[in-house]
Amino acid sequence: MKIKIALAQINPLLGDIGKNREKHLEFIEKAIENNAQIIVFPELSIAGYRLKDFTMEVALPVDSNFFNPILKQSKKIDIAFGFVERGDDSNIYNSAMYVENQSIKSVYRKIYLPTHGMFQELRFMGRGEKVTTFKTRYGNFSMLICRDLFHPSLLFLTYAQKTDIVLGMSSMPLRGVTGEKPAIQETVEKAIDTYTNFFSQFIVFVNRVGFEDGLGFYGGSFVGTPLGKKLAIAGILQEKLTFTTIDLEEIYKKRQLFPLVREEDLNIVQNNLSRILEENNGKF
Amino acid sequence: MENFSLNYELVKKFIIEFIKEEVHSNGFNRCVLGLSGGLDSVLVAYLSKEALGKENVKAIIMPYKTSNPASKEDALVTITHLGILYETIDVTKIADAYFKKEKEMTNIRMGNFLARTRMSILFDKSREFEALVMGTSNKSELILGYSTWHGDMAASLCPIGDLYKTQIFEFAQFMKIPKKIRTKKPSADLWPGQTDEKELGAKYIQIDSILTLYVDQRKTKDEIIAMGYSQKIVESLLNRIKKTQFKRTLPPVAKFSPRTFGLDFLYPHDLTK
Repeated sequence: MKIKIALAQINPLLGDIGKNREKHLEFIEKAIENNAQIIVFPELSIAGYRLKDFTMEVALPVDSNFFNPILKQSKKIDIAFGFVERGDDSNIYNSAMYVENQSIKSVYRKIYLPTHGMFQELRFMGRGEKVTTFKTRYGNFSMLICRDLFHPSLLFLTYAQKTDIVLGMSSMPLRGVTGEKPAIQETVEKAIDTYTNFFSQFIVFVNRVGFEDGLGFYGGSFVGTPLGKKLAIAGILQEKLTFTTIDLEEIYKKRQLFPLVREEDLNIVQNNLSRILEENNGKF
Repeated sequence: MENFSLNYELVKKFIIEFIKEEVHSNGFNRCVLGLSGGLDSVLVAYLSKEALGKENVKAIIMPYKTSNPASKEDALVTITHLGILYETIDVTKIADAYFKKEKEMTNIRMGNFLARTRMSILFDKSREFEALVMGTSNKSELILGYSTWHGDMAASLCPIGDLYKTQIFEFAQFMKIPKKIRTKKPSADLWPGQTDEKELGAKYIQIDSILTLYVDQRKTKDEIIAMGYSQKIVESLLNRIKKTQFKRTLPPVAKFSPRTFGLDFLYPHDLTK
């Protein structure tokens, strides 16, 4: 099956959820005009990233009416976007939502919230616990958010659930300016190249742009394919809507050429993980 | 209206110990402060004297030609009562030399320029007197950004920066500051007839109630309005908070290296202790 995907590398305004929703609708409109079937926005695309104490003020429950205009458009296109979730457990999460045909298909809560150096996520948000795969008319999808992409264990979990397409939604700040590309971009591209190769899946990486308090989100969105191609390369530091058509057939081809999936044994993984946990009193 | 009462005996002890320790651990024994004669600066003078001793506190009076003469009188009364050192530096000539060259000086521009001229003098005097500059901003004005960035906001320490103006009134009474100083209308005195409450559009008790509900109790705008506070005032105050956040943070540095000032170069202010 072939799918046309739109990567919305946007610059959300910090804390202005109304204006950000408008921007989502504009990008969605353009994606529909271009006959895309899915549009993917970056991490916290509705809220902005460095919210700090403002986090609480822009948190929305999953069933908030605020999302209605976006849901309405999902009649014509599947939409994945990021927002601050006010959980039904009274906690706040850094979440991503996938909507399809006017209904919420999946909500993913970021698991690894960086809290060191310039990052302060755990000060303001709670940690998600579940990596899931959800079926859409275009195949099996998983969503992961930014730092999650640096934990191969989470990518493995999507692979273990037969995910075809991982949506990697990010607000990754630029750092490292000695090479041709920002060092962080090299790191992300290497990681995605490795995951798509060994897990034979597509990764749609959408990173935001813009500056917040000196952090400059670099963009550099692209789609990595199981056969090692990079598609819809968006470039850095500019808002951009890029399109690409992917062919899910590539997963089948790759899995025959390099049949790791046939060899994979989740029981061995589970038994070893159980043993390791037991030997370490249930901790890492 | 909210209840603001505090254990002022404990507050007094706490602030005095804070001043002592911060001044001494930074390698100083003395402080300078701009003494306008307004309640905030008078209160800081009282606290500084108790913390450091009268010979280690120097008040600088810096009137401009339009400054209310009563303010200077209140400053002098305070100085005499506390027995602290002082100096008067009239800023009229300094400021007018600049104002004369500018075609359209608005009240705001003049006020900011005066505040920054005073800041400049205070920091120079702190070098001469080998002292730290004591800040006199209170919580209400810090949160509303109702002060001049790099002007009266600039200081080495902020001893009363966590007290709302309403609490300053109560604390000043506890500190036995003369009634005349406690009961005058709060004003930055940057131009004749200026008062805080006129400019902010509400009485301090009302302003501080809205601030504490929003800031300390984390009520939303709608929740505060539902409690019966005027929508216009609530919105205007909350807008002020947002619009002036830049004054309360360090300027953003364009980050691209592994460790950057303000972002992930995070040593504490008091590191040199």
